[in-house]
Amino acid sequence: MADWDEIAEALVDYTKNCNTNERLRKMQRDWSRVLHFACSDSDVTFTMNVDHGEIISTAMGHAGAPDIVVTTTSETFCDMFWGDLNPVQKYLRGEIKVKGSQEDVMRLDAISFVIWPDA
Amino acid sequence: MSDANSANQTSVLRRSVNSWTATATSAGLAFAAIDYLGVVSILAYAPGATAAFAVFIGGLIVVLVAGIFSELNGLYPTAAGIRLYLGRAVGSRTALSVTFTYMATVILVISADAFLIAAAIRHVLHEPAPLAYLWIVVLLGVALGANLKGVRLAGWLQTVVTYTVLLGTSVLSVVAIFHVGGAFKHPFNLFGKGAFSGVQAVAFALFLYAAFEWVTTTAEEVRTPRVITRALFIAPLLIWAVSTLFVLGLSHLVPYATLHHSAIPQLLVGKAALGTVGEIWMLTLTVLTALNTFNGGFLVASRFIYATAREGSLPRPFARLNLQAVPWLAVTSLAVTSAVVAAIVLATGQWLLLVSVGAAIEAGIYALGSLCILLLRKREQRERPFRLIAARPLATIGVVLFSVMFVATAFANPKNASHFSIAPFVVIAVLGALSTTYVLTTVPRLQREAAARASATRTKRRPTRVTTASDVESS
Repeated sequence: MADWDEIAEALVDYTKNCNTNERLRKMQRDWSRVLHFACSDSDVTFTMNVDHGEIISTAMGHAGAPDIVVTTTSETFCDMFWGDLNPVQKYLRGEIKVKGSQEDVMRLDAISFVIWPDA
Repeated sequence: MSDANSANQTSVLRRSVNSWTATATSAGLAFAAIDYLGVVSILAYAPGATAAFAVFIGGLIVVLVAGIFSELNGLYPTAAGIRLYLGRAVGSRTALSVTFTYMATVILVISADAFLIAAAIRHVLHEPAPLAYLWIVVLLGVALGANLKGVRLAGWLQTVVTYTVLLGTSVLSVVAIFHVGGAFKHPFNLFGKGAFSGVQAVAFALFLYAAFEWVTTTAEEVRTPRVITRALFIAPLLIWAVSTLFVLGLSHLVPYATLHHSAIPQLLVGKAALGTVGEIWMLTLTVLTALNTFNGGFLVASRFIYATAREGSLPRPFARLNLQAVPWLAVTSLAVTSAVVAAIVLATGQWLLLVSVGAAIEAGIYALGSLCILLLRKREQRERPFRLIAARPLATIGVVLFSVMFVATAFANPKNASHFSIAPFVVIAVLGALSTTYVLTTVPRLQREAAARASATRTKRRPTRVTTASDVESS
């Protein structure tokens, strides 16, 4: 089970990769969303704010009304943000649960796909 | 764990799909232009007002379908639900193979709508027959362009379009029912065309409701699974009311001999009821149904292709995204395939074959859904937000009933109701064989290649954590 420090470390790397990827920024230029994440194996929750494709903050706890809610284990979150797993495979096995529009769910996966196409 | 769950429950989506929108989505997915042809297929086996009785029985059976998919949706409230419940019940390979075949119906419906709208436009504009090909290309080209640009129908617009189509069809049908000069010429007899004709009429009536269960793919957009359940039970009521009025209006004003070889029954009843105004009225509604079909069909099928390619079960290029975050190869392939199928239908005049194939695949899916209920009641002990009452006997009845419906439509020949045809079954068998062969041979190879590529090009990025004594204690 991963703790918040581990997830936060993964989020820093994920944020850097997202915000420095030109193609991704262009693709997500109209995408501004509030994302809530909840670990199913601990009480860790966190919020990510995306503004025009740029991740502007990631903070512990839930803040604001979300457009997307993602629930999975803390280990899966860590591996996902480090780009060590393919989120779609976990999603299709029901191991990652998402609430939100189909378009937003796909865009969320598209981030991982663009920055780590081989995952 | 409980804290996490409670935290999760407090995260209420800023925008979520309500019951009205979910019901409109369900009804809109079911009520496509191909349904007007579906009505002609019912009339082939149950002439005159008897067809309305078949639509009613079909509606009663759909209540069982709504119960089955409500329980399955409650268990797996996700867009990938069909993969999950089929996977748990009959294995992941069978689930993938069935899902591929199921998705083929989306292409069939898109093709059918493109063909039907092209035929309707050509008819109203009095153009020569070959121009229908041009209209098919134009319609699918516009749908392709809009999809590639990432243009979506807003939820409210989709709702307005659906209710406009349902209301517009109902109003014109009422005018047709009360139009002077019409008559219900056929006696009320569900089995007037042979002992099996009643079953075939009901099986085609079931097709009018088909695809209403696709609303479960929006399960992640609603606040509670109850919204989907509500839509699954209300949408068939709307479809029943509109279809009954349309069947009665059509059989009251237009002789079956005229419908027999026509791909535009809705225009014929429009013309008979209100002249040119009625014809334009029904053409407008037909074009409007395409907005829902092209919007919903392209979206559902292309996202399925994207997810399957990302999973590694389809070639990777199908997951490629353009700058609008649209899987462009998936969308383009859908449009091209639909155009080819529509052109084949136009060239061969076999549009009722599409209805038979679609009806049979849907009946097969309903039989499988019933089987899933039976198997998952044993395997999944989790609490369900919706539980089908008397699940075991009802699901058993469902397996048998929908299997009979599958046979009734897979061997039907609506152009010659007193004969059977193996053509629909052959099409389904080819589709099933292709997807099964693909799943058994190509998918394992793709997955091996993906694994080899990943191990050759990637190293684990996540830093290895040093385990401390306190970690061991806490674990």
